[in-house]
Amino acid sequence: MKKYIIIAILGLSTVFSSCNDELFLTPFQSIDQSIALSNDANVKSVLIGAYAETRDVDLYGGRLQLYGEMLGANGEVRWEGTFNQPREIFNKSIFVNNSFIEGTWAAAYRAINISNNVLDALEVVNEEDRDRVRGEALFLRGSMYFELIKLYALPYVAGNPASNLGVPLVLTPTREINEESFVSRNTVEEIYTQILSDLTQAESLLPASNSFLANSYVTAGQLSRVYLQMERFGDARDAANRAITLATGLQKTLIFNYMDAFNTEGNSAEDLYAIQVNTQDPANDMFLFYSLPEFGARGGDVAILANHLTQYETGDSRLDQFFTAAGELRTAKWRDQFRNVKVMRLAEMYLTRAEANFRESTAIGDTPLNDINLIRARVNLPAKTTLTLAEILQERKVELAHEGHIIHDVKRTRGSINDNTGTDVFAFDSPRMVFPIPQREMDANPNLVQNPGYGN
Amino acid sequence: MTKNLLSALLCFFFLGSIANAQTKTVTGTVISVEDNLPLPGVNVIIKGTTSGAVTDLDGNYTIQAASDQTLVYSFVGFESQEALVGNRSVIDITMQLDAKTLGEVVVVGFGSMTKGDLTGNIASIKGAEIANIPVPNFQEALQGRLAGVFVESSSGKLGEGVKIRVRGTTSISGGNEPLYIIDGLPITSGGAIGLFNPLADINFNDIESFEVLKDASAAAIYGARAANGVVLITTKSGSKGKTKFNVGIQRGVSSPTRKREFLNSSEFVELMREAGYNNDLRNGLDPINNPADFEDSDLEFVESRLDRYSGWSDWRTLETDTDWQEQAFNPDAGVTNVNFSASGGDEKTKFYFSTAYDKQDGILIRNDFERISVRLNLDHQVNERFTLGANLGVSRTRNNRLADDNQFNNPIQLVALAPITPIRDLEGQLYDRPTATYYNNLIDSENAQWLNTSFRNISNIYGEYKLTEKLKFRSEFGVDVMNQNEEQFFGSRTNLGLSTNGFARSRWLRIFNYNTNNYFTYTNTFAEKHNLEVVGGMQFQKSEDNFTSVEGQEFPLDELRTLASAAEITGGTSTFTNFTFLSYFARANYRFAGKYLATISGRIDGSSRFGDNNKYGFFPAASLGWILSEESFLKGNDALSLLKLRASYGLTGNAEIGNFDHLGLYGPVSYALLPGLRPSQIPNPNLNWEKTAQFNVGVEFGIFRDRITGEIDYYNKDTRDLLLNVPVPATSGFAVQRQNIGRMQNYGFELILNGAIVTKQDFSWNATLNLARNVNTVKELAPGQTSIPPSSSRFLNGIFVGEPIGVFYGPKYAGVDPANGDALYYLNEELTETTNSYNDAARMVVGDPNPRFFGGITNNFTFGNFDASFLFQGVFGNEIFDGGGGFFAANGDWFDNSTRDQMARWQNPGDVTMIPQARLGECNGCQASSRYLSDGSYVRLRTLTIGYTLPSTLLSKMRIATARFFFTGQNLLTFTKYAGWDPEVNADYLASNVFQGNDFYSAPQARILSLGLNVGF
Repeated sequence: MKKYIIIAILGLSTVFSSCNDELFLTPFQSIDQSIALSNDANVKSVLIGAYAETRDVDLYGGRLQLYGEMLGANGEVRWEGTFNQPREIFNKSIFVNNSFIEGTWAAAYRAINISNNVLDALEVVNEEDRDRVRGEALFLRGSMYFELIKLYALPYVAGNPASNLGVPLVLTPTREINEESFVSRNTVEEIYTQILSDLTQAESLLPASNSFLANSYVTAGQLSRVYLQMERFGDARDAANRAITLATGLQKTLIFNYMDAFNTEGNSAEDLYAIQVNTQDPANDMFLFYSLPEFGARGGDVAILANHLTQYETGDSRLDQFFTAAGELRTAKWRDQFRNVKVMRLAEMYLTRAEANFRESTAIGDTPLNDINLIRARVNLPAKTTLTLAEILQERKVELAHEGHIIHDVKRTRGSINDNTGTDVFAFDSPRMVFPIPQREMDANPNLVQNPGYGN
Repeated sequence: MTKNLLSALLCFFFLGSIANAQTKTVTGTVISVEDNLPLPGVNVIIKGTTSGAVTDLDGNYTIQAASDQTLVYSFVGFESQEALVGNRSVIDITMQLDAKTLGEVVVVGFGSMTKGDLTGNIASIKGAEIANIPVPNFQEALQGRLAGVFVESSSGKLGEGVKIRVRGTTSISGGNEPLYIIDGLPITSGGAIGLFNPLADINFNDIESFEVLKDASAAAIYGARAANGVVLITTKSGSKGKTKFNVGIQRGVSSPTRKREFLNSSEFVELMREAGYNNDLRNGLDPINNPADFEDSDLEFVESRLDRYSGWSDWRTLETDTDWQEQAFNPDAGVTNVNFSASGGDEKTKFYFSTAYDKQDGILIRNDFERISVRLNLDHQVNERFTLGANLGVSRTRNNRLADDNQFNNPIQLVALAPITPIRDLEGQLYDRPTATYYNNLIDSENAQWLNTSFRNISNIYGEYKLTEKLKFRSEFGVDVMNQNEEQFFGSRTNLGLSTNGFARSRWLRIFNYNTNNYFTYTNTFAEKHNLEVVGGMQFQKSEDNFTSVEGQEFPLDELRTLASAAEITGGTSTFTNFTFLSYFARANYRFAGKYLATISGRIDGSSRFGDNNKYGFFPAASLGWILSEESFLKGNDALSLLKLRASYGLTGNAEIGNFDHLGLYGPVSYALLPGLRPSQIPNPNLNWEKTAQFNVGVEFGIFRDRITGEIDYYNKDTRDLLLNVPVPATSGFAVQRQNIGRMQNYGFELILNGAIVTKQDFSWNATLNLARNVNTVKELAPGQTSIPPSSSRFLNGIFVGEPIGVFYGPKYAGVDPANGDALYYLNEELTETTNSYNDAARMVVGDPNPRFFGGITNNFTFGNFDASFLFQGVFGNEIFDGGGGFFAANGDWFDNSTRDQMARWQNPGDVTMIPQARLGECNGCQASSRYLSDGSYVRLRTLTIGYTLPSTLLSKMRIATARFFFTGQNLLTFTKYAGWDPEVNADYLASNVFQGNDFYSAPQARILSLGLNVGF
């Protein structure tokens, strides 16, 4: 009997000794992190991964713009959709567990972590591409911190930025979770310093032309936005001027018909920076919430109110964007599906240069009057002969309406927002116009301090 | 009593060399042990044949049989007995009551045992007990029948998942479903496309028995995958004798267990206008009394919306009053089952084959389920030493599926539409947005298709060789091929295809899973008192998962629905993943003097899922048993006829994690059609299985000559090294890391009582009660971590140390401020102060989705030729969160139609109500809070069956062996305080370890009334 057992055991162990090797399997849809950062091609792929994070609907894929519009509704637009997350922002009574706000926070830091990984792996990147790769990663990181600081902290112009809490600053890649992962909030000033450092370096490293990815004029444009928030108008003017000079030198121009600048397939001649949308990668939350079912969107969650129309002068062809659908007035800026999400148009740069030149009483690039009249001429409005700051800001408001800018302009100019339904007026530094640190994050990281008005 | 697989195998071995012998006349008398009176009507059958006799009024019988044949005596309510004829010509029999369970054979891992010898805890049920229950999968049929086995069907949608928890939830982020093994093969029970339930592929009329291994002693032989219990499924096999045919047919009608009440047009208009007007008044406007205020007022906005929603009709005259809920249900719902089987065999070869057709037309529109299945089980004895066999099962399942509960095209979401909205416009077209408040998913019924087809082959072969009389070797090889295909088409009028001239998606999944078991079994008896059985061997399993999907849009017309017609292919993917297990196992069962029992077992498990530092784990278990009633001081005691104590302790694991969770990974992503990579997972080379140490102590008893029997078990499962998705600061770029951290405990008791209440010849009544209490407690999370708070703003389930998994955590609703109609929440946990600010409200544990008790009571009656049985099943002490409440029970917060209870809203100062003032868009109390929580306990008349068996005198003329007509009703009565559709609910798109007990537009269960006929010949 023993003989049988021995034979059987021997036979089995021969057959199944190979099974042990079967315990070491590797996945087919992912690769080990060491391989991902091991050579030039892979690091460049990881860089595309960082762009992919920033194009998420939580970020430039639409919600950053939506937040700007909902916070800045001012009785001119109305949230009518079922989603409670935008409605909370619209009502300026935000709950700490608002999932959009949590998603945006997480997505921005994912993009930052990927940028940090790229910046940490530059030595394997081919030398001739190294500056560009570094510049793109810095652009993305700086931009993410800029978007975060505008939403999750008081504006730069409110109180003392050197003591106001900003967001945590993470500048190294995370490859394991350890004590250093439990970060604290840096000050608003520290974040702005980092943003300026990242974007300034990026501008110098990047080429002027880089398909639809970050290039030097996009970075200059982004810098002009940062300087405007900081009220450094001379720097804002110079950055906007650099952006205009470079971009127009590369055939960027205002498109003849205003509405032809929107719903374009691919980047238009006016787009400095836009998120690429296609049927493979269709997400565009501005379209989703602003457009209508017949175009493939939801039920028309944002309506334009009569108050907004009075912002325009008679004959302004920008009024052509409005149409009535599903019982309300709508804007056609986000009408069509599978169209790029505009992040920065050339028109904004003219408006920034005009405002900054005006404030600084300079005429770098061109006079404020010429820049403003360029914008006005395109929409069939008569040229102005004199100009006030209020007129420049009003021109900016209607030119860039429904593209996510309003709240950031209101905050930096110390304006206020009227509540849509009540009598409340929210000042530029109202804590109710600052997002909470997401509750999930507060729970996961005891070192964080919550913003005022959100408990704790 | 039905023979089971093992006895069939035994006859295979030991009765294999039957010689034809001369028959002779055997006579005898059959009496009952209860009163020593003759038993008439007892079936006396020659084993392995269909020839037999029936005892007469005096209990006498006469039969022709050969001396090497065995007579089988059977009668309802009594245990079957066998007697070898031998040289006897008179055989008198005393029938024992059936409640005695010690002799019953139960299947255990890699073998079988008599129940009396068991030292572990196994819940067992015969397939015959759940045959003809008109549900699509066996899991639902098991509901309420097995102590400590909690079964919950997520909703009344067909073909979707069923949650099973054996002795509680052991894992927070790993799997919690038991391991399913069919005839030795661990089958694929998850991972299907969508929410399709792979176990619905199994025709449970083919099942001989289900055994659920609950304690460590029983389950540890399945090692790293046994912590959630193991369900052993044994399919039917043939037995020697005349071929038996069975034909069954069953038809039934279904309807929802309950509907909710929604507002009619008049109430809807009243509430919505009031909501807008209330806003105006709060803003200092009075558009009703001051017409100048009307323009741009909220009331004007409401009325413009009412204009829009009423389409061609006039809401002011309430011209339309649509009951949208009614539209979600299928008036023609019902069930059909047709089955056929044949079984039999000769001395060498035995077979069972069957085919069945099951069809369910769901209670929801667009939802049905159809299964065609075929099985052939064959056993063949090559010679006295060598046996081989095969079990081949093939099925095709077609399921017209529905969108997840949270999708606009879930039929139940029709309830959100306004009653003032006509279903169709004046041209007869279905209204959609903007006239309909949301997508009118009735359009899906005309313009969409969503068909899931699954081809399943679960087959295995075995060979068994007797090396000696005491030692045998068995080798099994099995394959489980699951081929699932989902074809979706949404036409140009549907919400998914509206802007793109249609949208279609074709998804294919193939999971190929193969397994081999190779083991020795050694059985011996030493010195007549020492019985020993040793099992030892190895198992290897590999599962390979291939998935492909294509999506396209722009169809020339809605009639062309395959992707060949799509002008634009918008998406496609294919993925591959796999896992392996390599295991070695051994078990020894020892019995001394028929009363002292011991079992020891161990398994070494290795898996590709574990980190390189921890490839193999060891899972030992030991148990002891003592049959006190075999001791001299109790033996023969009629009052306490059985008393057995048993105890077990052992270690099992849970390896139900992702296939590659231990690696640090970058995954693909693309931007603007450029390929990219991004971090997808942070590494953990130490990752391994969760370890559950389980202690079990039980007592089995029988009193009054086993007229009443029962079992009481206490268990304590301590799970360590929980596979936890530990939340990490998102500032790291990651949301979670999978770690072996944390601890969870489940302890509780189980009670089973069986009573043979009446055992008269023409009337019998048996009752079985099972009741279980499980206490689940999260003991530890990551160091310093005390909670994983609710991850959703709409739902409340979270994890807190010291609380059961998934407790509801959030603000506690304090009703309505009588002064101003504000929704109030408690400001502190002591519930002494309130606030109208949701953000300021104290957050606390407000409920628990885990039931405190659950169980069932089965009663079986026979009355002459009639039989009846009913099962009451109950779940007690859990809460349900009605997540849709924020939309339809939100006092007119938005234009979703409301449940009728919202009409009790606050209107005037001094009003005392739980429903706040209606304020349009202000979310006055609409956030997730205990407002939407309610008691989820229920008792349900789960199954009621009444049957009539035609008298054999009538049948013999028709050459029919048996014929039985029956009525079966499912979910006939439900007793609950829950105000929603149905208390048995677990919103499908959310359902997870943590998210449980939520209702979100989830369909009620089906109430089914069916009639059937079974004929055997």
